[in-house]
Amino acid sequence: MIPGKYRSVSGRAANNVNCGLHLVIQTSSLPEKNKVEFKLNKDTSSFPGRLLQHDLERNYSSRQGDHINLVSSSLSSFPILQRSSEEKILYSDRLSLERQKLTVCPIINGEDHLRLLNFQHNFITRIQNISNLQKLISLDLYDNQIEEISGLSTLRCLRVLLLGKNRIKKISNLENLKSLDVLDLHGNQITKIENINHLCELRVLNLARNFLSHVDNLNGLDSLTELNLRHNQITFVRDVDNLPCLQHLFLSFNNISSFDSVSCLADSSSLSDITFDGNPIAQESWYKHTVLQNMMQLRQLDMKRITEEERRMASVLAKKEEEKKRESHKQSLLKEKKRLTINNVARQWDLQQQRVANIATNEDRKDSDSPQDPCQIDGSTLSAFPEETGPLDSGLNNALQGLSVIDTYLVEVDGDTLSLYGSGALESLDRNWSVQTAGMITTVSFTFIEFDEIVQVLPKLKIKFPNSLHLKFKETNLVMLQQFNALAQLRRIDQLTIDPQGNPVVNFTLWKYYVLFRLSHFSMQKINGTEVTQNDMIMAERLFGILAHVASSELPQYRLISILGDARKKQFQYLLESKGKKPGIINEENNDSKRLVGENTNRATLNYTTRDFYNEKLEEIKEKKKFCKTYIEDLVKEATEINMKNEALQKLWPQMFIELVRDAVIEIRNKNSYMKLCLQQITDQK
Amino acid sequence: MLSPERLALPDYEYLAQRHVLTYMEDAVCQLLENREDISQYGIARFFTEYFNSVCQGTHILFREFSFVQATPHNRVSFLRAFWRCFRTVGNGDLLTMKEYHCLLQLLCPDFPLELTQKAARIVLMDDAMDCLMSFSDFLFAFQIQFYYSEFLDSVAAIYEDLLSGKNPNTVIVPTSSSGQHRQRPALGEAGMLEGVEASLFYQCLENLCDRHKYSCPPPALVKEALSNVQRLTFYGFLMALSKHHGINQALGALPDKGDLMHDPAMDEELERLLLPFLRLAQVPGLVNSVTASPEASCLPSRTPPRVGSPWRPLHHSRKVDGESDASTEETDESET
Repeated sequence: MIPGKYRSVSGRAANNVNCGLHLVIQTSSLPEKNKVEFKLNKDTSSFPGRLLQHDLERNYSSRQGDHINLVSSSLSSFPILQRSSEEKILYSDRLSLERQKLTVCPIINGEDHLRLLNFQHNFITRIQNISNLQKLISLDLYDNQIEEISGLSTLRCLRVLLLGKNRIKKISNLENLKSLDVLDLHGNQITKIENINHLCELRVLNLARNFLSHVDNLNGLDSLTELNLRHNQITFVRDVDNLPCLQHLFLSFNNISSFDSVSCLADSSSLSDITFDGNPIAQESWYKHTVLQNMMQLRQLDMKRITEEERRMASVLAKKEEEKKRESHKQSLLKEKKRLTINNVARQWDLQQQRVANIATNEDRKDSDSPQDPCQIDGSTLSAFPEETGPLDSGLNNALQGLSVIDTYLVEVDGDTLSLYGSGALESLDRNWSVQTAGMITTVSFTFIEFDEIVQVLPKLKIKFPNSLHLKFKETNLVMLQQFNALAQLRRIDQLTIDPQGNPVVNFTLWKYYVLFRLSHFSMQKINGTEVTQNDMIMAERLFGILAHVASSELPQYRLISILGDARKKQFQYLLESKGKKPGIINEENNDSKRLVGENTNRATLNYTTRDFYNEKLEEIKEKKKFCKTYIEDLVKEATEINMKNEALQKLWPQMFIELVRDAVIEIRNKNSYMKLCLQQITDQK
Repeated sequence: MLSPERLALPDYEYLAQRHVLTYMEDAVCQLLENREDISQYGIARFFTEYFNSVCQGTHILFREFSFVQATPHNRVSFLRAFWRCFRTVGNGDLLTMKEYHCLLQLLCPDFPLELTQKAARIVLMDDAMDCLMSFSDFLFAFQIQFYYSEFLDSVAAIYEDLLSGKNPNTVIVPTSSSGQHRQRPALGEAGMLEGVEASLFYQCLENLCDRHKYSCPPPALVKEALSNVQRLTFYGFLMALSKHHGINQALGALPDKGDLMHDPAMDEELERLLLPFLRLAQVPGLVNSVTASPEASCLPSRTPPRVGSPWRPLHHSRKVDGESDASTEETDESET
């Protein structure tokens, strides 16, 4: 852009490229080293001060040290500047004091019409002694050691203020510079944007290479077209939509990681050029299309033109993102529902257990929390989700979750696991499960359901889910070893997991052995995650083998029948017939080298009837018992009566016998009269 | 048979004393419940089997608690069955009261926890109820508690009375002053020392035994149990009863403590049941010590004849190699 011969030797141009402001020192035709010209890089047309431009382009040279005399005065500590009158006439409105090794601003007398002042590359620490230069339009203090902006309050005409590469910590004392057009504060230590809201003519603001962590407080900059914020630590951007003219925004090499933190950019209709490179956001996979999608007005991103193709891609990808988000939102919603339901079920379970415990211990302490709790539960109940959501048997290949959520129970199918929470879930086994889904289920997990209730649905489980090999029980109130007997009716179990929580039976040291013993025909492989060893099986047999033997061989036959039930009578016919032999050996399917298939007969009689059934049965029997009692009593009465009669007879019989004999003898004593009597009797008979 | 005493009792009482009616009622009840099945093979056979099982003591298996505790004979049978079935369990670790209760429930589903708790209290001397107990301790204590439950309840009442100074034997003359005079010193005495005086206690027990119909331990044996001590506590007394061999023998349910783990017949059965498992353990790939270690670790108190068993599987496995159809061969062999 700038012809080579106009480039400065010192190469400062290269340094300044990073700023929006491109300071070029254009040398004049004279082969002098330092010639100064201010030229702005872009947007030169909109530069309000064409006048200034014109001025700047005027050739101007200054020889170092040649025309400038810095005389130290005894009056003050500041050197006093003096120029030769030639110089004054030639370059009446500009003064360059760069690289003069100045540590302070000298007093400049007699130059009150100065318009451009250049203090570049010195060691100045404070801006001073320039308040008299009230016509100053451009002040260049680049590369000094200024720590604070001050001493500018009289420069009401100032339009260009270059304070790059100093040590400024705070933007301040710019109140009177209402005409400011370009403000360059790059390379300082500024942490906050402030005190610039009155600069309504400011067009270019350069805050690159500072310590800004966020961008806001930009209102009032109604003319700003270019904002350079490169190389800061910005994490979020605000207020940019309040800049009606902003076209170029450079945010390279900051700390922006999500589009939300720069969301105000989407609302800015004037922005056409933006850079985000060097931010974490630029590494994201969704970066480009998200930016393009949200900022339709952009023409250039990261210094590259945006093509139509890119825009199209962006919208497509953005739609996909939206879909994905919606999907994951739905998933998380479902998960939340599930969690709430499970919590609900858990609470109900706890209440139920408490109630049972109270009844059992016959305490009449008030359950002060239980009447309130149901209300709470109802209040927080998933009344928003009363219907079933999600298909149970999804036709999709990769349907991982089929979810049916109702307040008091939860049924979940997750690949090969069927999980049931709450006793209401047991009814779901009645539903029509597709063969494919049901066939895939290998694990069934029961939680917060009474074991007695589970026992009743085990036959259904056997039929509907033939491949279920692993059963898990948690919070199911397993308290007696006998309850394991109920599991014998299943077809097969490979693994059994009884969670200690809510299952007191696990506290018994022998429970595993009992399970192995009773369910030996399943040849279980794992109990609660630990492998079943041969030793375990032997131990189980050793502990409980006699029980089985007693249960089978010592029970009278009618008991066997009544316990085994009619249906299994056939199965165990040989057992009934061969009662004298050892049933453990005589099992037609038994081959010593093979595993026992089919239920081991001698423990078939070990059944489990749920407590309720048991009590019902006992109730029923009461009637019968009463009847039996009265029946037996009658029998006994009869028997005792007969016995009494018998005894009485025994007592009386001798007497009776004697009387009989006596009567007979008396009758026959008189032979003649007896004969007559007999004949009489015979004729009477005719 | 024809003892005059027997004939002296009126009919009903005689039957009641022998609990004949209980069994008759139960038999008829069972008949009613299973009439379809039983009618198939005959009522006479049913009655035969029923009373046979009563004699053998197997009639109480898996029956409801009300039946199990109905007669002394039932109780004895139950105790015996419990001992036989779970002797092997007792051979192993000590168990808690709840675990014993679990085992009891295997034989009698509605066995009340109360009784087990009371039995445990005897063993643990009313101390921490979660302590572990050995099988023999528990079994003998349980025997006393279960068989003599009603008797023990009365004894508890008597003990309470004695402890609070009221002597149930003494007749309180209905003049207020003398009654008070008599009571106060006794109260002070009982409060100072633990338990009650043995001889006084025994007198009360004797009276109890005479008065009540239900079964009590033979007074002579009770006197023997109390002979060594001056004073005793309630649970001390029960513990003494449970440890007394004579009472155990009088009951006839369980063998002596020393023989508690002996049951050769059942051991044989057990070995037979274990055969398939032990034989599987012989399968190559499994360590041979499998057969040896469970024997050694779990059943240290077994008598020497059992030592022979580790050799048996080897013997059998040779047979298996030789013959293809192993099972039937085995049964033939074991039957002989």
